[in-house]
Amino acid sequence: MHINLRTNFISDPWFLIGASFTTLFCLIALIGPILSPHDPWEMSFDPISPPTIEHILGTNDCGQDIFSELLYSIHNTIFFGLSSGFTTLIFGVAIGLTSGWYGGKIDLFLMRLADILLATPSIMILILAASFFHPSPITLALLLALLMWPTISKVVRANTLILRESLHIKAAKQMGASNWYIIKRHLLPEMYPIYLIGFTSKIRSAVFMEASLAFLGLFDPTRKSLGIMISYSLKYYYLGIWWNWLMPPIICLSVLITATTFLAISLEKVMDPRLKESLGDNLA
Amino acid sequence: MDNTIANFGNLLKIQLKQQKQLDLIIAYGLAALTMTYLSYSLPNLLPGDFVTTMYSNSFVTITAEQEAELRNFYSTDAGFGDYIIRLLKLDWGFSYSSLTPVSSLFFSALPWTLLLMGSANFISIFIGFVTGVEAAWQRDSKTEKTMVSTMTIMEGIPEICTGVILLAIFSLHYQWFPAAGAETAYANHTLIEQFLDVAHHLALPLLSLIFAYLPGNFLMARNSMVMVLKQSYITTARAKGLSALRIRYAHAARNALLPVVTRFCLRLSFMVTGALVVERIHSYPGLGTLLFNAIQARDLPVIQAVVLVSSLMVLAIILSLELLYGIIDPRVTHAH
Repeated sequence: MHINLRTNFISDPWFLIGASFTTLFCLIALIGPILSPHDPWEMSFDPISPPTIEHILGTNDCGQDIFSELLYSIHNTIFFGLSSGFTTLIFGVAIGLTSGWYGGKIDLFLMRLADILLATPSIMILILAASFFHPSPITLALLLALLMWPTISKVVRANTLILRESLHIKAAKQMGASNWYIIKRHLLPEMYPIYLIGFTSKIRSAVFMEASLAFLGLFDPTRKSLGIMISYSLKYYYLGIWWNWLMPPIICLSVLITATTFLAISLEKVMDPRLKESLGDNLA
Repeated sequence: MDNTIANFGNLLKIQLKQQKQLDLIIAYGLAALTMTYLSYSLPNLLPGDFVTTMYSNSFVTITAEQEAELRNFYSTDAGFGDYIIRLLKLDWGFSYSSLTPVSSLFFSALPWTLLLMGSANFISIFIGFVTGVEAAWQRDSKTEKTMVSTMTIMEGIPEICTGVILLAIFSLHYQWFPAAGAETAYANHTLIEQFLDVAHHLALPLLSLIFAYLPGNFLMARNSMVMVLKQSYITTARAKGLSALRIRYAHAARNALLPVVTRFCLRLSFMVTGALVVERIHSYPGLGTLLFNAIQARDLPVIQAVVLVSSLMVLAIILSLELLYGIIDPRVTHAH
């Protein structure tokens, strides 16, 4: 990759904003459950009370501390996004590499499969699965990964096809390197910008999907999630709770998704020279 | 002699093209058949059924005999061929929970989704494309930079958030707009009043969807326009002394249109699920709400119909997109 990649990133305001917010959210996700002042499932406080020093954001209709709920929700949402994004990445890269490197019938089969999945609305499959089988959130995250890999593997395959014809790969082949050796030693490391870009954009869609499913009420109702908080608080809007109960999860969700969008755009801009042409150096 | 060869070549090309189109149609037809078969076999794959949902949490206890009888009453399996014929005759069975024909439920929800998604897509494509073309034209100016930044931030705000904020402010707090439904029920309206009433109900869900779709359309139109403006034929057009407006729209924008049209069609093909969240937030009686309520009630015939018809719709739209490409961009046909 380019030598001045780091300078490029540091001078890009989109990257700085996106990276600092995502780091902040990841930190909250990691230490949030330790930081939270109360057990978010404890229902012994006065229901729907305005914020006090003990309850920074007040309490909800069941008498649960909203701030602790928020911390646990961010934790859950981010872990859903990360696990789904990571699995998607593994599937996408493995399938893209196999299909691009081996070609022939395998390629044809895998790419037709990808086309079929691209034409399937994943939220419909997830809703069907969630409502008929009541799977755990982690199962849903994996199912989402099974539906999201095609976009990554198409890009990886296209790049494998280009790399396959390049001189150093041909030289390695000439020297008798095995398929596995070439994939592991040459192809896999050379495409890492694609992984980063794909990973961030998939985390974004996974977080989005988790929030939608939670808002529609397809998760365990006691699970803490930003979407569930939004849908519950909307029921009590008339009690004037919108600024301490409705707004915090909405703001967190928007900032989280915006930050990952910034990160994805910035990564694409700096690492993909083809896009740099169209996006320009001075996006800000 | 040369002429005949060229003619023959052309004929071959046309035949090849037709062959390719036929292949495409056959492939999509097979896919449609597979989906229909999956939908036909779906009921046997799923755990739980309507009878258990109806009686498991009620105070009525039924004997095993009655249960079998009820199961028999609610299942109508007569083979796959019969299933296809009934599908074509729009005889999709009866909804379990409301005992009305599924097709009437479906066709009463369809216009609302078409109205909502169609207008949201159309408006956001139009505004996004025009602003994107203008932004690319004034590249590196202050206006362009502000526009790109604003749209990128908007791209990050999910439709749950915009929908809920719009609902909380404009219909719950100020009560300027209705919070649910697509028209006032049992109202005795004249045609103009009816139109205004529908528009009044449509406003908030439409706004949330436009807010969600506009930034993507804008960024995509801008990026493809920036690439097009670099081509040498744009320089030629300028050298010919054409007006800026003509270069922008007649020469450049036409070539920047392809990705935008693709996006439009894909968005439209995911019609049912695309508006699901927004339809739920604003309680808009479209297909998304129908599907969601059906799933909550385990109303299998309705689920089957909505899932099947919407996946067939996806296939049909993608197929017509493939056939349409050649008309919008002749280069695509030559590339094959």
